[in-house]
Amino acid sequence: MQENYLAKWLNGELTEAELAEFKKSDEYAAYQRIIEASSSLKAPDFDTGEAFMAVQNQRTLKETKVVQLHPFKKFLRVAAAVAVLVTGSYFYLNTLDETIATQYAENKEVVLPDDSEIVLNADSEISFSERKWDRERNIDLEGEAFFKVAKGKRFTVATKSGVVAVLGTQFNVEHRGDFFEVTCFEGLVSVTFNGKETQLPAGSSFMAINGNVVEARVPGTTVPSWMGKESSFKSIPLKYVLAEFERQHNVHVETQNIDTDQLYTGTFSNNDAQLALKSISVPSRIKFKFEGNKVLFYAENTP
Amino acid sequence: METNLQDNVCEEEVFGSIFKANSKTVFNYIYYKFGNEEKAHDAVQEAFVKLWENCSKVAPEKAKSFVYTVANNMYLNVIKAEKVRLKYADKTLRTTHESPEFLMEQDQFQEKLDLALNRLPENQRTTFLLNRIDGKKYAEIAEMEGVSVKAIEKRMHLALKSLREQIDGI
Repeated sequence: MQENYLAKWLNGELTEAELAEFKKSDEYAAYQRIIEASSSLKAPDFDTGEAFMAVQNQRTLKETKVVQLHPFKKFLRVAAAVAVLVTGSYFYLNTLDETIATQYAENKEVVLPDDSEIVLNADSEISFSERKWDRERNIDLEGEAFFKVAKGKRFTVATKSGVVAVLGTQFNVEHRGDFFEVTCFEGLVSVTFNGKETQLPAGSSFMAINGNVVEARVPGTTVPSWMGKESSFKSIPLKYVLAEFERQHNVHVETQNIDTDQLYTGTFSNNDAQLALKSISVPSRIKFKFEGNKVLFYAENTP
Repeated sequence: METNLQDNVCEEEVFGSIFKANSKTVFNYIYYKFGNEEKAHDAVQEAFVKLWENCSKVAPEKAKSFVYTVANNMYLNVIKAEKVRLKYADKTLRTTHESPEFLMEQDQFQEKLDLALNRLPENQRTTFLLNRIDGKKYAEIAEMEGVSVKAIEKRMHLALKSLREQIDGI
């Protein structure tokens, strides 16, 4: 008889000879009986529909949980990213220098953290580090500004041409292209130009044009003239005067057949362009044509 | 099977048909093993909720063995088999012509069978009952249990053999 013949018999897999032999055995009847009786066995009742409902309920329960968890996780992720960005940019911005600039025909007054005051003339820019101000009073300047420095530690104004250092005073610094001028109105100012230091007492000026130190006029006022809405010059090449006119009145200047290196001494108004043009043209013996936003200076003898 | 044509258990319809085709057998399977209806109900729940959660990872043709594996693992080494209580289909209508002696003798036999079934090792009982009650083929049982068909034939053979010995001995 083959292996597991009872299982084979039940499955109808016995050969006829085997089946005949099995039927002759004493146990056959007993097996037959067991199979008969077990065929009427029943498992406990099971309601498929009910069980399915239960599974559905549990599913939605679990799904609801997932839905609730998800946005919170998302929110946390977004919140973390925002926190990193905010702190990052806070530290970054903190290290950035403070920058203040003026446009053409604009003046601006700035009060520094130590109550020092700066008045910016037209088309000028200063920058300084607010964070480091307590340790180091340093201003970078491009253009022209008047400084009223509160007493305290060394105060420096750095321009591309030279560095001005003071302890507490009032002074004006102008640096435009190759023109560099420092005027001291109160106290003592130290100007370092081309590695050479010059002490500037109150009521004196230091001026350098094109890298050469030139003798400067002596200011007769306590504040720079531009702060009184005027621009005054003493033996200054005309091109710098015209450039200043351009800045103060926001008017485009063109020249024709005139010597812009001739020296000019005088004052022009920063409020009235017509008046200013006359103040410039009459002493220099040149003519001008003023149209809209443009002014053309030309020699008297050209048509 | 019709579900083979679909490729996603996540489809409500596919899931429903898998449930209809297998839930009763999962229930019986666990019940034959441990004799505990509550545990069998829980196993059905667990198995099909797990199937739904993993519906995208389980191919429909693998869903059947997936649910049996989950149900089986759930109680692995956890509970001891209790007494398996099975009912007998009501045969009174069919057997009205039998003599009272025969009926009594039959009742006694069924009692003996019950006792003998409960004395079987769990895997033999499960195999025997899945075949006798649920009409499962040896191959299907082998798939559920994760063993070879030959192993199932062996269990079936041994189950029948010890049932007979037990009943004769009682």
